[in-house]
Amino acid sequence: MTNPFEDPEGTYLVLVNDEGQHSLWPSFAEVPAGWTVAKSEDSRDACLAYVEENWTDMRPKSLAEAMGA
Amino acid sequence: MPEPKKESQLEDIWPLSPLQQGLFFHARYDDGDSYTAQLVLELRGDLDAARLRAAAGTVLARHANLRAGFRQRKDGTPVQVIQRRVRVPWEEIDLSGRPDAETEAEAVADRERARGFAMAKPPLLRYTLVRLGPGRHRMIFTNHHILLDGWSTPVLQTELFALYLTGGDDTGMPRVAPYKDYLAWLARQDRPAAEDAWRAALAGVDEPTLVAPGAPEPPDGAEPGRVRHLLDPSATAALTARARAHGVTLSTLLQLAWGTVLSRLTGRTDVVFGAAVSGRPGELPGVEQMIGLFINTLPIRVRVDPSATVADALARLQREQADLLPHHHLGLTDIQRLTGAGRLFDTMTVVENYPFDPALEDGGAGTDLGGLTLHGVGGYDASHYPLALAAVPGERLSLRVDHRTDLYDTAAAERVMRRLLRVLDAIAHRPDLPLGRIDVLDAEERALLLDAWQGPRTEVAEPRTITGRFGALAAARPDAVAVRVHGGATLTYAELDARANRLAHRLIGLGVRRDGRVAMLVQRSADVIVATLAILKAGAAYAPIHESYPDDRVQWAVNEVNAPVIIVDAATRDRVKDVSAHVLAVDDVNGCPATDPGIPAHPEQLAYVMFTSGSTGLPKGAMLNHGDVVDLAMDAWMRTGAHDRVLVHSPHAFDASTYELWAPLLAGGTAVVAPPGRVDTATLERVIAAEDVTGLFITTTLFNLVAEERPTAFARLREVLTGGEAGSVAAMRKVLAACPDTAVGNVYGPTEATTYSTIVAMRDALADPAEQVPVLGFPIDSVRVYVLDAALQPVPPGVTGEAYVAGAGLGRGYLHRPGFTAERFVADPFGAPGDRMYRTGDLLRRRPDGTLEYVERVDFQVKIRGYRIEPGEVEAALAAHPGVAHAAALVRTDGGVKRLVAYVVPAGAAVDPVELRAHVAARLPEYMVPAAFVALPTLPTGPNGKLDRRALPAPEFGAAGREPRTEREEALCRAVADALGLDRVGADVSFFELGGDSVTALKLVTRAKQAGIELTPRDVFTHQTVEALARLDELDDAATTLGFEVMLPIRTEGSRPPLFFVHPAGGLAWGYFQFQRHLGPDQPVYGLQARAFTRDELPESVEEMAADYIEQIRAVQPHGPYHLAGWSLGGLVAYELALRFQALGEDVALLAMIDSFHGLDLNSERREVLPELLGGIGIDASMTDEHGEPDVPRIMAALAERGDALATLDERSLRNVYRNYAGGIRHAEKYVPGRYRGDVLFFTATRGRRDGDLTGAENWAPLVDGDIEDYPVDAEHHALMEPGPVREMGAVLAAKLDKLHSARP
Repeated sequence: MTNPFEDPEGTYLVLVNDEGQHSLWPSFAEVPAGWTVAKSEDSRDACLAYVEENWTDMRPKSLAEAMGA
Repeated sequence: MPEPKKESQLEDIWPLSPLQQGLFFHARYDDGDSYTAQLVLELRGDLDAARLRAAAGTVLARHANLRAGFRQRKDGTPVQVIQRRVRVPWEEIDLSGRPDAETEAEAVADRERARGFAMAKPPLLRYTLVRLGPGRHRMIFTNHHILLDGWSTPVLQTELFALYLTGGDDTGMPRVAPYKDYLAWLARQDRPAAEDAWRAALAGVDEPTLVAPGAPEPPDGAEPGRVRHLLDPSATAALTARARAHGVTLSTLLQLAWGTVLSRLTGRTDVVFGAAVSGRPGELPGVEQMIGLFINTLPIRVRVDPSATVADALARLQREQADLLPHHHLGLTDIQRLTGAGRLFDTMTVVENYPFDPALEDGGAGTDLGGLTLHGVGGYDASHYPLALAAVPGERLSLRVDHRTDLYDTAAAERVMRRLLRVLDAIAHRPDLPLGRIDVLDAEERALLLDAWQGPRTEVAEPRTITGRFGALAAARPDAVAVRVHGGATLTYAELDARANRLAHRLIGLGVRRDGRVAMLVQRSADVIVATLAILKAGAAYAPIHESYPDDRVQWAVNEVNAPVIIVDAATRDRVKDVSAHVLAVDDVNGCPATDPGIPAHPEQLAYVMFTSGSTGLPKGAMLNHGDVVDLAMDAWMRTGAHDRVLVHSPHAFDASTYELWAPLLAGGTAVVAPPGRVDTATLERVIAAEDVTGLFITTTLFNLVAEERPTAFARLREVLTGGEAGSVAAMRKVLAACPDTAVGNVYGPTEATTYSTIVAMRDALADPAEQVPVLGFPIDSVRVYVLDAALQPVPPGVTGEAYVAGAGLGRGYLHRPGFTAERFVADPFGAPGDRMYRTGDLLRRRPDGTLEYVERVDFQVKIRGYRIEPGEVEAALAAHPGVAHAAALVRTDGGVKRLVAYVVPAGAAVDPVELRAHVAARLPEYMVPAAFVALPTLPTGPNGKLDRRALPAPEFGAAGREPRTEREEALCRAVADALGLDRVGADVSFFELGGDSVTALKLVTRAKQAGIELTPRDVFTHQTVEALARLDELDDAATTLGFEVMLPIRTEGSRPPLFFVHPAGGLAWGYFQFQRHLGPDQPVYGLQARAFTRDELPESVEEMAADYIEQIRAVQPHGPYHLAGWSLGGLVAYELALRFQALGEDVALLAMIDSFHGLDLNSERREVLPELLGGIGIDASMTDEHGEPDVPRIMAALAERGDALATLDERSLRNVYRNYAGGIRHAEKYVPGRYRGDVLFFTATRGRRDGDLTGAENWAPLVDGDIEDYPVDAEHHALMEPGPVREMGAVLAAKLDKLHSARP
């Protein structure tokens, strides 16, 4: 079984939730509730590069706020 | 071929069509009615039986192929022999007036079907006319499938009754197109082109698509079940319109639908099923009116790419099918042979253009034939497929799912039909929908999968932080015991709190901050818990480093987590000399206050970072939060009381430690700390009993070992949890039977989701004796486990999918790896908005009752002894060796034994496996070092160019050696092979060279006993080969001292100078047996043993021993170069031997000392030698009788239970070991070594060292002129002869000896 997150030929989105957490997401699948598209359809590598660049603080937003940072 | 004579019955001889050939061969091997077809017609009205019989005769006369008999030529070629004339087999049975006429008629039909046909005797068909009453007949037409297919039946029926009307006269009827023309047409087809086309169409299909893998042969004569659905006209019209809009046939559209259903039934995105095609070539005139076998079954491949839209998928399928159209003549058997995958499918589709499914005719008016009307009653066409879809086009599309009733019950088949209807609906109405979004599940199924079968939703425990909960407990019950060290101190909650507070202040002073990390390398002790809690109190997360990490990797790990501080203890301090972080001793808290530092904590704050193996070559740090840990500790399963006193015995860097520490400590319970180092089964049992432990976790491997060796060890526990790998039902049953009051919980879950995600009570799960699978049960509180397919849709029960874990316990991600985190921790479409789920890479499935079952891994990640291993990481380490061009690593189970095996392609000359092992051991933790290294000229690749793991050969542990010659040898060879999990073993190869060790020696004893051969482990140690073991009977009493001789031959063969090992204080050299397999077949090995076993006077000093042994050695090897080694006292004797050889002018090429020190005050006068000796080998040290003397019978009993060499000692030998040990310690203390000119190879046991203990180099440098190479071995002194340490030292010794050997002229 090819995992939908492991298809080198597939197209993907990058989703972000309210905690600022990022998720790779196959573009064929419906975007789940509570997530917004941060990067529109692109190659897997491009999406992962986007995540590497933009998800710089891996703490959930609620924690970062509680820590006053 | 003989020419037919004039009056001969023989009309012609034809070849067979490919399909006929297939049937012919199968018919010869299969019994029964598998290829018998039947047509049953109800005839109402006046029937003239004679006319019908005449009509049947004319049909036979018109169609030569119906008069064929089937034979083989002498060379095996099958032929069909056409008879000029054959009589119609015709039988009339009158059942009129019989009350049970109907039943009888059915029995007649059954009997006819069961009768079968003789292939060589034409015709292979017969008629039975049953008279049921006035104006009521039933015609039963039975034929072998090789004559005609289902498409032919209506043609036959029409022709038969047309001839009935003419009384058998066919003058007005069109000429029959002969079957021979079809055979000629077939012969003209371009077979190679067809083969190429099919090969291309099926490229990459390497596995069959089976809905019922492993299904038994269908029972003889079983009728398939049938589920029908008549689509309403508007739905039918919508489908037809969709087909037309995309320029495809209805057939293609149905194939896409079936492919999609199949994809959901099998969890695959590339599926193959069979489709019946008429096989009648359009260019053959009159082909539609022919009666014969043309039908073919062809594989249809559908790529159900979840991202492809309905429209795209239709277009692709149509294109692919059109390309194959000219190649439909190739037989299925030939096509399957091209792929090499054997049977490709077990489901079928057929679009029946002739509606001869009688039940569909509504019982309506039949054909009128001059007062006779025809009504279908039934037909029989054996279907062997678990599932088959039949469709009949019409104003209302008629669908039928045929199913093997032994595999699918009606409800299941109806569910398949409903899934199909949903897919058809999507295809009809939503051409732009990606296939992945088509939902095939019933609403009730969805509710079960996503809700009812998930962990119960529970209230969140408050406070949801580790420090918050612990602080509250420490305040509420300060005097409760929090930590209990076995045989040592206890800490109350207040004391633990105070100690952790002090250390936390120290950490804060060193710059540790909230959400930061502190590394830990601390031996198992109360200090581990103090330090862990202190780190959390300082606001940081603990990052435990595995003790078996090589030093380089410790450094790497500290950098990786950006730890400003690493906490160590006396035993580990030396290992972190070069670490960049501040090294803090766990007890270095001078002047720090015992008050809580008051750092706030948040449930989402990081609690720990645990390293898991990474495919890229380096481990990755999984981040888990405070709340995750609290969720696990407060799970209802944890709070039954069974986990109030938990044994802490797993490595701290293994995620079981989360359970071991926090399940008790966040609920007011006690963490019971086991002694440091590896805990054996005897210790386990002892500690459980002594400390009233209620619960513990143990990895699958250890659990299985306990079940085998000491199943009662858990009897005092309330619950033992086990998991990490696929468990053994047999082992669990054994433990359940031996421990009637203990629950066995099977747990499953990834580190990333906090240790356990599912749990199940095995006593219930295994209550049914037929249960063979260690199920995983259901998710724990507030945890959800989804089993999803490639479209991220939940798969129905019975279908394998990938497990995703969501809900409580889900960690934060991977430290410093946002990209990797984003691909593993992904959006959860089924949870609350914004939830994430972790993609485990494990393949699971649910049973019909929702119980989860483990299937396998998606990738090649494996577990060895509970540790996750990415072969990529091992491969990276292998490839780093300059002599390796390419490398692969995988875990394989050969003969039931799981081993990590390395495959290497050398860059130039051959790579020495021993050197390679040492190379890997220096880079990876011990559990990641392969058990075997196989050199290959190239790595095998599959059609896609990727490594073909299945083509990698099994390592040949057992291939060498001669065959057994006697029955006894044969039985023993089998026993050895069983014990070691090998296919075969040579009768003259040593058990230890085959990979045997002390545990497998025990297994061998058991296996031999089952074969009626009594052996002791000692026999195995001393005799080693099957040849020698088989001769044991023949040996007389004189040989019973074998094994105690002064010069113990371990391996006498080989051309190199031997290696002599000198015994340790106990006097026996048996422990050295294990070295031989690491040293190569050309290296002779001997062991020197104490005189105490063969005479009563003991030597008085190391010098005296050396003087004795030097003669023994010279008897074997008169002159140098000498290779000498020894463990403990043996090292001192070896040193003394080396001095003496040098004094004699001999060359000493190798002197190896294994943890041997001179000048130590061993406190010999006051030492209680026996308890210490026994303690050192894991026996309860307090076994003394009423006089305070050793209680020898009890000790003997305890020894006998053990699984190693000492189990075989008799009482006298034990006393000798004791005498020798006592003497040996005195000699070691007294020994004053001289100066040695040469290099020393030294091994230091790094565990159990105390502050200020000298290293080997420090101890010996003042006396040694040469270099001292000091290798640390991660073991305690007394555990150095265990398989792990022996393997490490063996690799170093082997490399050394090889180097010496190659340097010699």
